[in-house]
Amino acid sequence: MRSPPETPAAVFARDLRKSYRRGREEIEALAGVSFVINPGEFVAIVGPSGAGKTTLLNLIGCMDAPTSGELRIEGTDVSGMNDQERTRFRREQIGFVFQHFGLIPTLTVAENIALPLLFSGKAKKDRVGLLLERVGLWPRRNHKPSELSGGEMQRVAIARALVNEPKMILADEPTGNLDSQTGEQIITLFGELQRSGLTVMVVTHNDPLAQCADRQIQLKDGRTL
Amino acid sequence: MSWWSFPWKEWQRRPLRTAITLTGVAIALAALFSLLSFQHGYRAGLQHELDKLGAHILVVPKGCPYDAASIALHGANWPCYLKSQYLEEVRATPGVSAAAPVLMAAFYNEPGRQTVYAGIDTNILSLKRAWRIHGKFPQATNDVLVGADVARQFKLRVGGQFSLPGLEKQNGFVAGIIDPTSGPDDGFVFLTLSSAQALLGHSNELTHILVRLKDPNQLEQVVGQLRGCDAGLYMNIVPLAHLFETIRSVVNSARVLMGCIAFVALFAAMSGLANSILMSLNERTGEIGVMRALGASRLQVGRLIWSEAMGLCGAGALLGCLAAFGAARFIESWLRSRLPFAPSEPLIEWQFWIVAVCLAISLVAGTLACLAPVIRVTLLHPMEAIRQRNT
Repeated sequence: MRSPPETPAAVFARDLRKSYRRGREEIEALAGVSFVINPGEFVAIVGPSGAGKTTLLNLIGCMDAPTSGELRIEGTDVSGMNDQERTRFRREQIGFVFQHFGLIPTLTVAENIALPLLFSGKAKKDRVGLLLERVGLWPRRNHKPSELSGGEMQRVAIARALVNEPKMILADEPTGNLDSQTGEQIITLFGELQRSGLTVMVVTHNDPLAQCADRQIQLKDGRTL
Repeated sequence: MSWWSFPWKEWQRRPLRTAITLTGVAIALAALFSLLSFQHGYRAGLQHELDKLGAHILVVPKGCPYDAASIALHGANWPCYLKSQYLEEVRATPGVSAAAPVLMAAFYNEPGRQTVYAGIDTNILSLKRAWRIHGKFPQATNDVLVGADVARQFKLRVGGQFSLPGLEKQNGFVAGIIDPTSGPDDGFVFLTLSSAQALLGHSNELTHILVRLKDPNQLEQVVGQLRGCDAGLYMNIVPLAHLFETIRSVVNSARVLMGCIAFVALFAAMSGLANSILMSLNERTGEIGVMRALGASRLQVGRLIWSEAMGLCGAGALLGCLAAFGAARFIESWLRSRLPFAPSEPLIEWQFWIVAVCLAISLVAGTLACLAPVIRVTLLHPMEAIRQRNT
């Protein structure tokens, strides 16, 4: 494995390990994973269930700290960060998209998109409007999530992930709850995001989505193949 | 969207639960508001009664019942009498500015409606400085000075005559009418002391003497001297300020009871609030996880939950204060029927500071109640929280 490149990689992982305790049993979810993802790359993380895909995504998304190993995001070493530092980093650098959309049912489409701005303390009303236009949901801006289709909900989630202008989008099974036609629309949207310069990492079981990626990282039993 | 509009939307998610929690807080704060308003109103009312009486000391016959002051203030029949000659000894006591003799009696002319007669002399004017008399002070045998309520009830005018209620074949000549005093004097018929003594069959007798001091700070010394004089053996010297203090301590039991009710209600309301927030958190664990993934810090999610609780407590406090304000008349009449002595002034007197205190107590209690849920939410691991949503 090379040393970190001079132009920082979007993600640089070296011998990344993560283990959990479940009662007395220790589970090694990641057992020494190493890879580099370049800025603007579209990468699919694939593998069977229990391979450690979501654990890896959560580590890259600064939702958790690795047990050991080195992890650099956009040149910043995040492996030793505390919870507060990880939260700030996540808020500024990373956008999350979930399989179950993760929309707040009491908020409207526009409010859901604006939610991360509340946490970052930024007031960017124009940005919300632009994103609503970009994902084609401007006419639905005052609707509640319960009034939207699955595809529309995932587009809201993607717009929300983009509102803080992150450098990287992480998506965990973004088409997992969608029919194939709607899934294709979402895949197209991820392609557009990559072309706009964002680094996109997707955990997926969906072959068409994985095929769309520049590269696939295959995981099995917590290791890259 | 702001930090405060977020809780508003959360309350709308479970309107029934919100309404029940809000009602609990409102009931507790209504009880607290009533208690504080009563405490303030009762104290102010007693002070006002004391001021209107114009006397610092009440001299009553030995063996007179404890509620003599209440009788003197509101008018009733007295069970025992003082000799008129004691008056001179009272007046001669150093420190006494004025001593006004009174002979009082009450007659029930209709069921539940009494007319109070008080025989007085001009010394009373040194005490009742707030009196504004139309006409003149009674001088002749049949002259009467009537309170504003009596004048209105019997449609009396200065110079007119009327049959004295409760006294057969006795007519009074209205020498003067007192402007409304907002006190018991409005319902009294005043006669000259000698007329009253003759009419009531108590010649050379008094029911009480109202004493005003030159310096109210010398109350203890003057009381001591009055008790030490020859007539002191036959007189009960009652410092009115002390008496009102004693009345207040008697009423304290009612206040303690109300305080207990308010405390229990507040405790129950805050338990309900804590429970409601915990239930809500349980349902929203996944959402909290998503918020953390979107960049919300532990402090920010804690603040969201806290602001939800604060909104409920603030709204509950204001609703409670409004409800208590609306029910003040009912609470007042309920209290009046149960208190041993109630001033004629309103018992429930609200002030802006009482609303502020209620609001502050509600917010502090709310903060304590939501402490456990807030700590719990800040300790949630985002991944675990999101996983809970997915399972």
